[in-house]
Parts: sequence; C-alpha cells; structure tokens
Amino acid sequence: MKGSAPISAELAAFLESGLSITAGTRDRELNPDGARAWAARVDEDRTHLTVFIHAKAAPALLRNLESCPEVALAFDRPVDNRACQVKGRFESSRRARPDERAEVERQAGGFLSQLDEIGIPRALTAGWKVWPAVAIRLRVTELFEQTPGPGAGEPLR
Amino acid sequence: MIPLESLTPCFQGLLPAWLLTCSKDGIPNVAMLSHVDYVDSSHIALSFQFFNKSKRNVTENPRALVRLYDPDTLQMYALRLRFVRTETAGATFERMRLRIEAIASYSGLKGVFKLLGADIYEVLEVAPVEHEVGRPTAASTPRPAAGVPFTMKALQEFSARIHGAATLDALLDAVLETLEQNFGFRHSMILLASERPERLELIASRGYPPGGVGSEVGFGEGIIGMVAEARKPVRISGMLRQMLYAYAVAQRAQERGLRPDDCRIPLPGLPHPESQLGIPLIAHDDLVGVLCIESQQPYRFHEEDRAYLEVLGGFLAIAIQNTLLRERAEESEDAPTAPSRTEDGKRLPAPSGSGPNLEITWYEADECVLADGEYLVRGLPAKILRKVLREHRDEGREEFTNRLLRLDKSLQLPVVKDNLESRLILLRRRLEERCPAIRIASCGRGRFRLELEANVTLVERP
Repeated sequence: MKGSAPISAELAAFLESGLSITAGTRDRELNPDGARAWAARVDEDRTHLTVFIHAKAAPALLRNLESCPEVALAFDRPVDNRACQVKGRFESSRRARPDERAEVERQAGGFLSQLDEIGIPRALTAGWKVWPAVAIRLRVTELFEQTPGPGAGEPLR
Repeated sequence: MIPLESLTPCFQGLLPAWLLTCSKDGIPNVAMLSHVDYVDSSHIALSFQFFNKSKRNVTENPRALVRLYDPDTLQMYALRLRFVRTETAGATFERMRLRIEAIASYSGLKGVFKLLGADIYEVLEVAPVEHEVGRPTAASTPRPAAGVPFTMKALQEFSARIHGAATLDALLDAVLETLEQNFGFRHSMILLASERPERLELIASRGYPPGGVGSEVGFGEGIIGMVAEARKPVRISGMLRQMLYAYAVAQRAQERGLRPDDCRIPLPGLPHPESQLGIPLIAHDDLVGVLCIESQQPYRFHEEDRAYLEVLGGFLAIAIQNTLLRERAEESEDAPTAPSRTEDGKRLPAPSGSGPNLEITWYEADECVLADGEYLVRGLPAKILRKVLREHRDEGREEFTNRLLRLDKSLQLPVVKDNLESRLILLRRRLEERCPAIRIASCGRGRFRLELEANVTLVERP
C-alpha cells in the first residue's frame, strides 16, 4: 500500500480555488466509473482531502469505493488548463454539513464563472445541482502533474 | 442503447471530455481529452497525443469510460468503452490530425502538438447521467432540424447565381453573398492558389472589415493551410477551448526547453473565431483554392454543413475554372487604344491634373510594391502594377488587354493555366482597399483601363 503524499500550501490553494473536478473509481471487474465533484478541502494535516459530490451522484460512487477504495481526482482550471491528478484511498463519507454549503457553492461558482469566460454561459450551466452534497474523505497517496503537454503524468513535488 | 449518431453534437469538443481508465492493479485514472470523434454506430476515436497513463492503462485493461457533454443542454453522457486498437493512418486518423494540426499552427506548435494516433474504442453502452444536465428545459426542446438552410430552393439559387456570373469577379462575390443570404454563413472568404508554390491568397471575403485582400496563407498554416495541404475539408468547433488546451501545451513545452516555432500565423478573418469550416476547391485534380466560413458562435457548423459545402465547393471550383477559361477565350484581340504620349516621361498625369502626390515603389528583390511607404501588394499583381504604371509613364498608355500582359515575358506567366484573371482581381481589390487613387477598371472582356486620381511617381529599387 502506498504511503501518504503531502499537499503543499500552494497546491492546496489551487485545489480549493474552484476548479473542474472529476472523480474516478472502479469496480471489482476493473470497470472505471466517475462523477463530478464541486469542491475540495485539504485537511490541516495536508495528507487528507475531502471532496463534495452531489447527493444523487454519491451512491454509485460509494458503491465502488466501499469495495475498491482506490480513487483518482482530476483537477483542471478551465481558463488555462492547469491541471493535476490526486490519487488516494477512500476513508469515509458523510452528508455535507450546512456550514460547508457556502464554501462548496463558492468553489462551484468559481468553476462556473470560468466556464462563462471561455464561452459557456451561466444560462447553460444553471441546471447543474451542487447541493445537497456528500463529503468524501480520502487519504492522498500520490500527486501528478496533468497540465496537457510534455511532462503531464510526472509526479508533483 | 441511445444511438451514437444522436450524440454527434457531443463530439464537437465544446467542453472537454474526460476519459476514465483503470490499471490492471486497480488504480483509476482520469484524463482530459482534446478530441472525441464519431467513427461509426458502435465506435468512437479518441485523440492520442502524448504517451500517458490512460494509454498504458487501456493497453493492459481495455475497459474505459468517457464522460462528455451535449453542448446544447450540457447533459452529461457516460459512454462505456472497450479499447480496440490505435490507428496511425486512414480516414479517421487523417480527420483528427488535420484538426489538431490546424489548432497547432495557430499556436506556433506544429510538431509539438500533434496526433500520434487515433485510439479506436468500441462503445458498449451510452447512458445520460440523470442528475448532470445544465439546461433541463432545453433537453425537451427539439434541436433545430439539421439541414434547414440547405433547402432545394437555396441550392437552386446558389446554382443560378453561379451560372449567372459572367466574370470571375462577379462569381466570387455572388457566391459569398449567396452563402450569407441563403445559408446564413455571414463570415466567409475565398482564397485562391497563388503563383508562388504552396501559397494561397485571399481574393474575396464577406462579413469582415476591409483590408484582407491579399492576405497570404502557406500550405499547412491554420485551418486554411491544412485544407489546402490535405485537400480535405476541416471543421473546428469550440476553438477557444482547444486553443487554451494548445496554449497550455505550448507553455509546458517552453518550460521544458522545447521550441515551438515563434512565428504565429496571423489568421485572415475573425479575430476570435469559435467555429471554422474550410473546404478545398478542387477541379480536375487541381487545387483552385479554399473556401472558409467562420463564426463567433461555438459549435456553429455541423457535419451536414461540411457535407453540403463540400459538394457546393466542387461546383464552385469548376465554375471558377470555367469562368477563367471563358474569359480568356473571349478576350478581345484588338490592340489597345493608341497611347497618347506625354511630354514628361517621369510624372504620370492625373486625369484631374490636381490630385495629391503618390509614390509607388517597386522592390525588385522582394517583387513587392509599396504605396507611400505602406505595403501594397507582391508577386504577380505587383509586377502587373509596375508594368502598367511604367507603360503609362513612358508611353501614355491607359488601356491594357490581358492578352498583352500574357505576351509580356517579364511577367513570367506560366504557359498553361496561368492565373492572370484572379491576379488582376486581387490587384484591383487591393487597390480599392489600400490605394484608391489608382484604379484598374474593367472596360470590356479581357481589357482594363488605368485610372489615376493622383500624381503618381513610380520609383524602382533593386
């Protein structure tokens, strides 16, 4: 089993800045599956991360995670495609608390504003539901650069 | 299963698609895709541009999932896939390569941002993700029926306009006008092959500010250059996103010490096009030129537009060739009007006699002409301008015939298939835009008159 990979302060700020987040899981037959996450919070220990997924997307994701805890999270900033991938192991899940809602909506709003900037108007994204959310906590095992181009896929230091 | 054909709009690349894979050890991976292409009713192709984990994963475990959005509703679809093979040649690969290289050339990234292969996947299942829909109301609204602009009436009109155009000049304008009025394509341009190898020049455009005539595009540069090089149509949607993707690659490449070429290609046309469609104009195996339409609207042009315009482009190419042949055949064989000698051999008289001064400078080495220090035109049109100004100065000649130009060896026109008519149109339009004091006015088939509204001095430099 892989150890923990600490997230730098700079990277933590990036991960929490309101990005496109796609979570990837798999089942026992190695069939991949995925869902959009709307926000991420890096724990103070910098080795754990919590992502917020819409409650309707959570059951399928959790079904996989409970039997196969490996998870991949792709973070991408739409305006410039700066991207990284966080690999981790599922630890726990819970309903997101009301006091977390503002932060989840802030990050989701940041992502939607960026889409607006690159030509996908708010009117088109208005139907995407952010809340209620489920918080999924994982231990971070590896971090990779994923900005497209040469160097994508290399470990992040 | 939802038929793959109904997802065609999702393959426009307006929003990034995501590829989810899993290693044989069970580690999932999520990667952004620059291109997803429809292959047939049970296969799609994904662009393979860099060796990465996804590639490694599908080689050892072919199961994959693509998440992509419908650009009209932002409905997310999940496509369950099985990796089949990588293609490095053939129609699918070529289609993807042209699009990617067109984007690359805009970003100075040719050679860095390229397609290594088209990864072909079998589609096992297509399912909408119920809770991921951006504009639920739009989902129930039927998509505007494809092909609405290409009615029989519109096609007949197009055909009639082509047949009705007596000259190349009239033909080019009529075609672009019809594209707007009958098909709704508001920004269009036609570039014709230049006399210099592997170059095209803009000769007619519609929906742009003036000043574009004479813009040059080399083969392989941007969408127009790619269309010319490959002689195949290229359609790009969601350009901003793809340019951002390419730009991210460029940044990374530069950080890595790789050298994307520095000369970015100034694109003739819209400053920020979101959709482009380029069609080769081919007649009897000759590349006559390229027709390009653009829009600021993402995902404006569909496969159907490409298919129809490809057919129309074929007609247009033949029409251009025929018009040129006809114009030449009907050219007047009369001698031009007798020159009226001027007393002053240097100064070209302006008809009004009181026009402003204008200095036209010919540079032999570059074969180009500047008007009062500003670049005007180069190549054959520049040589023609020098010739007529010279003859006007030295012999007082005002009227010229194409036949006379053809006989002039200094112009070095090819014996067969010269493109004199199109060069004259380019020169005339360029003058209208940049130097209206000099006019090349048609005065009958194969004849034109030089009209000056300035005191023109012709300066010839090595």
